[in-house]
Amino acid sequence: MGKAINRGLRLAAVVSAGALALAACGGGSSSSEGSAAASGGGSAEGASGGTITMLTNAEQWQHVDPQRMYTGADIAFFSGYTTRTLTQYAYAAGEAGTELIADMATDTGTANEDATSWSFTLRDGVSFEDGTAITCADVKYGVSRTFAQDVITDGPTYAISYLDIAKAEDGSSVYKGPYATDGNDAAAFDAAVQCSEDGKTITFNLNRSVADFNYTVTLPAFSPVPAAKDTGESYDDAVVSSGPYKISEYTKGQKMTLVRNENWDKASDDYRPAYPDQIVVEFAQDPAAMDQRIIADAPEDQATVEYGNMQPENLATVFTANDPRFEGRTYNGYDPYVRYTAINTSLLPNVKHRQAIVAAMNNAQYIAARGGDFAGERADGIVKPNLPLDYAPSGIWDDMYGDVIPAEGNPELAKKLIEESGEPMPDLTYQFPNNPVDEKIAAAIQSSMAAAGINVTLEPIEPGQYYGIVFDPEQAKELMRSGWGPDWLNASTVIPELLGQTGGFNLSQVQDDAYEAKIQDALKILDRTEQGKAWQELNKEAMQNAWVIPHLFGKAQAFWGSKIGNGFLWDAYGSLAFGDLYVEQ
Amino acid sequence: MSTDTTVPPAAAPPPSVSGAVTGLSLRQLAWRRLKRDKAAMFAMWLLVAIFLTALLAPLITNLLGVNPYDFDLTSLDPAQGSLPAGPWGGASLDHPLGVEPLTGRDLLSRLLFGARVSLFIACTAVIMIAIIGTTIGIIAGYKGGWLDTVIGRTTDLLLAFPFILAILALSPVLTQRLQAMGLSPESSRVVYLVLVFAFFGWPYLARLIRGQVLSLREREFVEAAVANGAPTRRILFREVLPNLWAPIIVYVTISLPTLIATEAALAYLGVGIVEPTPSWGKMLADSVRYFAVVPTYLFIPGTALFIVVYAFNVFGDAVRDALDPRTGRNVR
Amino acid sequence: MTAYVIRRVLTGLLILVLLSMLTFVLFNALPADPAALTCGKNCTPQVIEANRIRLGLDLPLWQQYIEFVKGLFAGRTYGSGTATFACAAPCLGYSFRRGEEVTPLIINALPTTMYLAVGAFVLWMITGVLLGIYAALRRGRWQEKVTLGGALVGYSFPSFFIGLLLLFFVVIRWQLLPYPSYVPPTDNPVQFFQTMILPWITLALIFAAFYIRLTRNQMLETLSEDFIRTARAKGLPERTVIRKHGLRAGLTPIVTAAGLDLAGLLGGAIIVESVFTLPGLGRLAVGAVVDSDLPVIVATVLVAGSFIVIANIIVDLLYAVIDPRVRLSA
Repeated sequence: MGKAINRGLRLAAVVSAGALALAACGGGSSSSEGSAAASGGGSAEGASGGTITMLTNAEQWQHVDPQRMYTGADIAFFSGYTTRTLTQYAYAAGEAGTELIADMATDTGTANEDATSWSFTLRDGVSFEDGTAITCADVKYGVSRTFAQDVITDGPTYAISYLDIAKAEDGSSVYKGPYATDGNDAAAFDAAVQCSEDGKTITFNLNRSVADFNYTVTLPAFSPVPAAKDTGESYDDAVVSSGPYKISEYTKGQKMTLVRNENWDKASDDYRPAYPDQIVVEFAQDPAAMDQRIIADAPEDQATVEYGNMQPENLATVFTANDPRFEGRTYNGYDPYVRYTAINTSLLPNVKHRQAIVAAMNNAQYIAARGGDFAGERADGIVKPNLPLDYAPSGIWDDMYGDVIPAEGNPELAKKLIEESGEPMPDLTYQFPNNPVDEKIAAAIQSSMAAAGINVTLEPIEPGQYYGIVFDPEQAKELMRSGWGPDWLNASTVIPELLGQTGGFNLSQVQDDAYEAKIQDALKILDRTEQGKAWQELNKEAMQNAWVIPHLFGKAQAFWGSKIGNGFLWDAYGSLAFGDLYVEQ
Repeated sequence: MSTDTTVPPAAAPPPSVSGAVTGLSLRQLAWRRLKRDKAAMFAMWLLVAIFLTALLAPLITNLLGVNPYDFDLTSLDPAQGSLPAGPWGGASLDHPLGVEPLTGRDLLSRLLFGARVSLFIACTAVIMIAIIGTTIGIIAGYKGGWLDTVIGRTTDLLLAFPFILAILALSPVLTQRLQAMGLSPESSRVVYLVLVFAFFGWPYLARLIRGQVLSLREREFVEAAVANGAPTRRILFREVLPNLWAPIIVYVTISLPTLIATEAALAYLGVGIVEPTPSWGKMLADSVRYFAVVPTYLFIPGTALFIVVYAFNVFGDAVRDALDPRTGRNVR
Repeated sequence: MTAYVIRRVLTGLLILVLLSMLTFVLFNALPADPAALTCGKNCTPQVIEANRIRLGLDLPLWQQYIEFVKGLFAGRTYGSGTATFACAAPCLGYSFRRGEEVTPLIINALPTTMYLAVGAFVLWMITGVLLGIYAALRRGRWQEKVTLGGALVGYSFPSFFIGLLLLFFVVIRWQLLPYPSYVPPTDNPVQFFQTMILPWITLALIFAAFYIRLTRNQMLETLSEDFIRTARAKGLPERTVIRKHGLRAGLTPIVTAAGLDLAGLLGGAIIVESVFTLPGLGRLAVGAVVDSDLPVIVATVLVAGSFIVIANIIVDLLYAVIDPRVRLSA
């Protein structure tokens, strides 16, 4: 789910302004409920049969290719139907939904003493949709694809950063994936990922201690792909299923149909209940029309689920009116994301300047511009309470900067901090993807800063080019819109990514050696609770350094037709547990 | 060449102006005819009023105590997803036309300030179109030869270009280039719109002018001037240009509303002015997301846009009729 | 006549070539780095370089253009090694953003746009021409004023405003129609019509206004010409005079405008497709712009431009058939 924010945005932005739902407009009326607010009660024994219809306004899936898939909800969807991984999260509401369980593996993996080597043994009877058994070699081949960075784009790159394979001079791996022909060190990869004689056990040798590597392999990037069926680029359109369903039709812009995979052996999979006979995804739906169909709940739409966000104007209808029509048909809780503004430290080296910017921020305006109560609550750091072990209040709004900062901001404090900095505050530029929600937020940031006498120019960027520009140090300006969700439930996929020197999402361009050392220490802590404490401290330190303006712990709302069973917020991915849904008969 | 966005100049009925009536008397005649047209006069004064309001927008909003940029969270309902609190889009004494969803910014002042941007872009672009189109049209018509052919093919090419799409697609690239030249993100977008409007707008006028010049060239007074050995520049400025003002004026009055509507359409598609500056197109684009729940937000800029375009069309029609000595209202 | 046809077709082809060159240069030369637009977010310089070579973006622009034209007629192959993929003719390019060839994207979007354009065309031509004749026949009376006044109102509405108004009142307020949701007519004809009726009306309202004025003016002009007076003097019934002579002679400008307008719409009714979320060429183009998906942008501009050029040729040829004077003067 990590980099999913821009994904969702991209898909949403494809449609006209009218169709754009608030990108992650979420949040419930009572903010403390968190995921506990999930209704529907959680996972229960369901009925088999029927067709579940999903409506989305996206034109197509971002990616169906497991190694290229990276959006939380997409993973939640395909992991439930077509893509088996070594481990996965349990289908349950609340905290139980974050429990790691074995999927294709017999257990949740075995580590050596310092967690630099992890082994998983495949269950008997796992097979692809054509009936061929899945072996270690298929998983290994799947993992190898991530290394072909020029073909397998957009996916998570944990395989590259964790596996014990040497790096070339330019920082890229010496192994270039299965498609590369010359100058490719395939032996290095064979040493890092090893298969047992019987082809049942796969061992990953890592270049560091990764205490939670068995969580890493929940990512579809670690799922099997049959080498014989791999078509590289276009495998995206011809994915071979390993789960209880297979793709019978995929027409971009129109629909996808999943039907039962006859070669899936129920005995090999006690994770997926596989209730419905068919799942149909209807693409390119008008967002307003989707909402209307589900609100109306006509007989033909009662087994329908909305994939994506509701229109803001309908949230009030569905969530605040206490309407019995919607009882048990909704959830309202944390989405995976923290929304923040990255402050470019290379352009703003003076910490007092950065603190002044944070102090000036009027997050009340920010939250209003994101949709009020439904958007979520004011963030106090880059770690969100959906990571219960890693979250603690950072205290940034109390008197970390010398005074309390209310949601409306504290322009007086900001002015004082600028004075203390000993230098005049430079004029700032805020970069953001040009879409209806982000431009309102841009206006909120500009007006917040103006109240403290800070001059901000707004620079909208075409959404398709946004990350290309802000990740280019030459083009990045002082302030950049950003948002992030963890790749699995550990702040190890947040703090090092966002603020570490090797992090893939270090928009703030933090180059702090002492901080980096602490990150590396934290990553090595095998005791999860102890590690959590380290992340809490690092989160606090990040706030002291004012590397970001924290804005929002986002919330999401979803609703579905009255005949859908097992609808609940699945904390693992901040979405529905699609694989657990059934049609009430 | 036409798109559905708005009827482009090409689709407008070609003004049939026979240019060779002696300038002064025609002008007087036309004005007299125009003055008799009550609808046209009403439209004209309405437009004058709108231009004045736009010009004086800061003054007016100051007097009313409103401001297009200030957030007003008290006028929003957080439990309703930050929609305006109260009926009619949150209209109140403080905000006579209501407020913008998500921000609570005052709509009246945004409407007034928005008019400035929209009208500025359209007017500047139309002036550029008039200058470029006339110049190139005269050159093509008067010089003829290979120059005429080249210009003819260029106009053909530009007229075949799906310009709305092109403007849309070129926007990110060109605004970035303009920004690299030192313009602010906001002014780069204004400049971009003016430039592309001019770029895609001149061919229509150039064609029209070329035709006029072709026929003028054959007229006695021009031939006489040539025979007398008058320099080309003198002939063009003294003899030809004065006879072209009628088609130019007609073309300008037809183009202006088209450009205003096109600016709005482009804003609707995402090519517009940068926040927080308002423009009508931007307001409309934004209101679309709320039109089911806050319809007033859509109606306000939409109606304003319609009124301006309609007034221009009524006035433009009348001007054309007035300038067309052959026909007059009844035949044309 | 043959010489005229040949000449007209040749100049049309020239314009087509120029159009493709202009489009290609505009969109490939202007962005700072087209290769940078081809890769996703976790993009490294190595990936950009690899894609540059794979997509042939390392070649000089003129060579890229030749490759493009070659792809159009003979197909082309991208990349090398195992990850090669072929793009069969007519290959309009490969969209890295979508991971798809562009040609099928265009072909999938075309029918929707065609239904939209043709349906609206029929609607506006019928209403426009009929009301135009009516206005001409009622010249000087109140009926004419009302018709023309109404036309001017329709003409002044921005299309997206009309579209949204219709959507608001017809669908949301009065609930006369379900929320538009496009399906191909072969799947569900009822839903197809329910979805298309408002877009058709929206386009028709705007265009009809123009055709009312045009038809009326043409009628009045031709009716005042000598041959009509002759026909009347011969004692032909008024109906025949109007239909046989008046309309026919005044037809040329209407045909011209109609052909060009239809062609313009076939290139994608951007606004109306956006308002009613119809998956046509216009919306494909808008989506490509948002995504900075260069190959799709180039292809949609080219296709839309080609429609206009081709329509221009056809219209001119028709013109020559209807009105023999053109041939002589050309």
